[in-house]
Amino acid sequence: MKKLNICVLWIFLSTIIFPYSQESEVKDGGSIFGDLTARQIGPALMSGRINDLEIHPTNHRIIYLGAAGGGVWKSNDGGATFNPIFDDHIQSIGTVTLDPNDPDKTIYVGTGETWTRNSVSYGDGIYKSSDGGANWKHIGLKNSERIAGIIVNPQNSNEIYVAALGALWGDHEERGVFKSKDGGETWEKILYINAKTGCADLIMDPRNPSVLYASMWEFRRTAWSFDSGGENSALYKSEDGGETWNKIHNGFPKGKLGRMGIAIAPSNPDVVYTVIEAESKKDKGLYKSIDQGETWNQMNNDFGITVRPFYFSRIVVDPKNENVIYKGGLNGSVSKDGGKTFKNLGNMHSDIHDFAFSIVHSDIMYFGTDGGVYRSWNGGTTCEIVENLPLSQFYHISIDNEEPYNIYGGLQDNGSWYGPSASPGGINARDWNSVGVGDGFRVLKHHTKNIVYSEMQGAENVWRIDQENELVQTIQPLPKEGYDKLRFNWNAPMALSSSVPDRIYMGSQYLHQSDDMGNTWKIISPDLTTNDPLKQDQDNSGGLSKDNSGAENHTTIFTISESELDENVIWVGTDDGNVQVTTNGGQSWTNTVSNIPDLPKNTWCYHIEPSLLDKATAYAVFDGHTANDKTPYAYKTSDYGQTWESIISGGVEGVVRNIQVDSENPNLLFLGTEQGLYITMNGGKEWYKFTNNMPSVAVHHMELHRKSNDLVMGTHGRGVIIIDDISPLRELNEETLQKKLHFFESEPFILKDNSSFSGSFGAETQFVGSNESTLAKIKYHLKKRHTFGKMNMAIVNAKGDTVTEMSPGKSKGINIVTWNYYMKQPKVAKGKTFSFDGFVTPRLPAGKYTVKIKKGKEVFNHEIELIYDPESTISLASRKEKSGTVTRLYNMNESLAYDVFCLDSYLKYSDSIGNKKLSSKLSTLKKSMVITSGDNYVGSAEPQLREKLTSLLSRVEGNPGAPTKTETENLTQLAKRYESTRIELSKIIKKYKLSKRVNTISKEEYLDSDM
Amino acid sequence: MILKNFFSILIITLATQLTTAQTAEEIIANYLENTGGEEAWKNLEGLKMSATASQGGMEIPIVTVQLKDGRQMTTISFQGKEIKQGVFDGTKLWGHNFMTMEAEESDAESTENFKLALNDFPSPFLDYKQKGYTVELMGKEDMDGTETFKVKLVTEPQIIDGKEEESVSFYFFDTENFVPIAMQSEIKSGQAKGMISETTFSDYDEVDGLYFPFSMTQGVKGMPGQPISFSKIETNPKVEDSEFNLPEKK
Repeated sequence: MKKLNICVLWIFLSTIIFPYSQESEVKDGGSIFGDLTARQIGPALMSGRINDLEIHPTNHRIIYLGAAGGGVWKSNDGGATFNPIFDDHIQSIGTVTLDPNDPDKTIYVGTGETWTRNSVSYGDGIYKSSDGGANWKHIGLKNSERIAGIIVNPQNSNEIYVAALGALWGDHEERGVFKSKDGGETWEKILYINAKTGCADLIMDPRNPSVLYASMWEFRRTAWSFDSGGENSALYKSEDGGETWNKIHNGFPKGKLGRMGIAIAPSNPDVVYTVIEAESKKDKGLYKSIDQGETWNQMNNDFGITVRPFYFSRIVVDPKNENVIYKGGLNGSVSKDGGKTFKNLGNMHSDIHDFAFSIVHSDIMYFGTDGGVYRSWNGGTTCEIVENLPLSQFYHISIDNEEPYNIYGGLQDNGSWYGPSASPGGINARDWNSVGVGDGFRVLKHHTKNIVYSEMQGAENVWRIDQENELVQTIQPLPKEGYDKLRFNWNAPMALSSSVPDRIYMGSQYLHQSDDMGNTWKIISPDLTTNDPLKQDQDNSGGLSKDNSGAENHTTIFTISESELDENVIWVGTDDGNVQVTTNGGQSWTNTVSNIPDLPKNTWCYHIEPSLLDKATAYAVFDGHTANDKTPYAYKTSDYGQTWESIISGGVEGVVRNIQVDSENPNLLFLGTEQGLYITMNGGKEWYKFTNNMPSVAVHHMELHRKSNDLVMGTHGRGVIIIDDISPLRELNEETLQKKLHFFESEPFILKDNSSFSGSFGAETQFVGSNESTLAKIKYHLKKRHTFGKMNMAIVNAKGDTVTEMSPGKSKGINIVTWNYYMKQPKVAKGKTFSFDGFVTPRLPAGKYTVKIKKGKEVFNHEIELIYDPESTISLASRKEKSGTVTRLYNMNESLAYDVFCLDSYLKYSDSIGNKKLSSKLSTLKKSMVITSGDNYVGSAEPQLREKLTSLLSRVEGNPGAPTKTETENLTQLAKRYESTRIELSKIIKKYKLSKRVNTISKEEYLDSDM
Repeated sequence: MILKNFFSILIITLATQLTTAQTAEEIIANYLENTGGEEAWKNLEGLKMSATASQGGMEIPIVTVQLKDGRQMTTISFQGKEIKQGVFDGTKLWGHNFMTMEAEESDAESTENFKLALNDFPSPFLDYKQKGYTVELMGKEDMDGTETFKVKLVTEPQIIDGKEEESVSFYFFDTENFVPIAMQSEIKSGQAKGMISETTFSDYDEVDGLYFPFSMTQGVKGMPGQPISFSKIETNPKVEDSEFNLPEKK
């Protein structure tokens, strides 16, 4: 083969590779985005919804959790902290299961949350890891949408049973109970009722893996209603590994059944419990069988046991006591008498979905709630939250123009908050501020006043918070004479005007406008929805258990956007698929949805984004998942909606929730879908998935911070995620991508003077969001990864001197190298111990510098500029004075270092010829120059000249302005002392003719050496 | 020489593109071949690598010595004083305490785990079968914008907090030239336990017929790593035996 002509081979190679790259569907942007990395900032203090908890069967330290929207996390320390292990895949999780025969390595994840609330996401089947979570393989049931349980036969790891709850928003046959006999390679459906009935719970008798209990649930959601229960819901049992199934209803209530949870007592598997959703209130509740399901008796139908079965039907039994039962619920319930009576669990976040018992002792428990994971050491009486789970589920976010800017947003069941994009020591729990209760949605900061608007579900309350005076006013639009009853979405839209600071918009079925911050509202539109009465019967929603929380309110406005270029251009999108626009401030409206090609009727308009460059241009995205349609839809109009074109191309996965335009490059767009972030640099012809520290999480809302060019994302499951400074993406085009190395333009870097204290007391097990680095970021694009040969980077000052050298990034795509503006630290004298102050490195002065990258034989240059902080109060004169003093001290330290080096040489010589007198003189002198005894901690000796000089250098360099008078006096005193030391040394050298007798290297040579 | 090698790499690349799917075994064989050849790697007796670590403007000279018999040490120079870390004399693992600058022995578990890697000089992939290691090709994966083969390597199990755990790492071999450009493994203990550590390799260059990465970054996956560049790599260095010995307590 090696004899073949290279050219021939090249042609072969091209033909093989070329078609592959052309056909690739999902485009991972790794090769473009390079070092452009997302920064996850939480918050974690209120965490987010948990769907499932799983305990390792033999190692009490290992716990897994499956989050509703935040992926799979693993704890190695008994729940003190968790780490994510499933970020590359869909983040809505139904269940996590370990193979009991190989629990360290074999993990199954069933995706798709199973507590089917309105805002629930969806999954895409089952994944398996055979190496403890490092790698995952999709192993089937891609259309199952939500997996309620996976059981591995403890006697045969190849035999796996799966409870597929299935599609929530439409018919689908991929549901029921599935079985694999080959470790998940192939699947057989072993219990199926119909396309509307899925398996809600599945358990196995621990004594006999052939005995299975399966609860089948008939259910359906639409965007405007929920229906739980029907003729097909039933409890089944199989005694032959799923070959045959029988209904076990002896003792069950008559009529239709709804969702049922089931649990078997591990300590006595004859005892089986089920919680039943039934037609009549009195028949609902806990049923118990003591004969393996042959007969059932109702035990309890308290509120805690019957509440919202679609959300809370988990029931578990203490592994060591058949009479201790825990039931999920608003507060969670526990029975100690076999289910006769229950009491509420101790204080923790409400809405408890799952439980897990430590294998060490059943008193040690873990709870999965709407607000994260809680640990208890006393069976749930007192609970403590796990503090490092940033699973917060934002519905919406906004930002302000503070420095650093703040992010505002509302969370599923966790109120409304704002927090900073940067904070000393990182973004801590204590940095977040509460600005609303209930479920939080849109939170907006007044453009000019210290006022925040927030809301709760269905605009039941809209708050205007005067932060300065701590005054909270409710301002929601109220019913108005001459208009229909107001219909607000669960996630009611609220928007600000960028032209009129006090203007705020709200959407019911009408568009409401207030020009006095919500005190008075006027309606500036007709009903902009379809006003379909069939979709307005929420009173009768819920099925067997009425559930009219407002979550199903429909035929409402969902999104409002006023053009920044013209306040009279306002876009409104509705949840029933209308796209309305006014160009005259609401005097007339046009519904443009019929101009949108290939969009199914009534598809939920999730967001409309007006262009920042052209007022006739806007982008609209649509989410069809509530109509069982997961196609991504995103469109662009350039003529106020008269025509629309799709901007979705291959590779985008997940329903689209949001689109963000760039403020400079009209072809740069960001798309938030249920499965992550996608970016296009050519107006939608190609989309690349952004995966650098960015999980495949649902991105519900995005904003672009104009000053910093940060893309800020509100995710529904992983909190706020920021990509700092996306400006390099603006420069990526055919031409720049073809260059071997392309430096991106950069604004001058600001030398900040600020510093503060940032104690991290008590944060050892807390999530702390990282700050953006304040260092200079040198950014360039490499066409190809550098793997062979040298590649170096240096910073050169205006005189041409190299001030520092760095390791450049070598990745294909965008590389970002940070530089801290520091020159090398001074060389300090060698002593017995370290001078910690001697590690201080002085900052370079403002000015122009050149970045030099040497790659092989080629050199690439790029000029950067450092400027002093224009906001700083420190004068240029002070800076000059400081710089002069620092330089003087820097040089003194290096001179002293050389003197001590020479002295050591003389001492060595003196010792070698046995001249005790000389040795004694030199040693005495050295003792005054540098520490010669003690250690680096509390055994430290009295500081000497080196220590005093480095200490003063450290102080002067560390302080922001000119040296203080005290420091100057101290310098004079030290200079005097140093001078007398040098005189003393000169005398000795002269007296003993040391310069002739001892060869030493020159000062320059010494300073360049590693000595 | 470099050019010549590039041509041979190109030819190997082309040749392998034309053949059927790679196996982990072939990838490793290609890696060893392209970086100097299995025999040359086996004949290597030791390495001395000099680097300067940059930390906030500080430039810290570091010298690491590794010998075939497992002895190794890292010497860090601060203010003209040498601090040794990760010194292994054949039986004991020790390092200097930064406060007292006196030598202290590592804890028993660390030492035992360290000993497991003694047979991994100069590469765990050399004679991996004889060592009882297993390798598996996990497929192709993008790393640093480059297509790589992801190879799983399982070495001797480690003892972590008293429990035996499998020792797994993933190497990412550039599909074009078969050198590893990154390595990932789970951090097994400490505050970062459970996170994935990532090391990247670049600036491969030749020293006495063998190719070494002269530049590395080390950190946690998803976060920027700490870079380190070697200024010099020497093969078969002469080192005094006494350098490795644990000094007597004063």
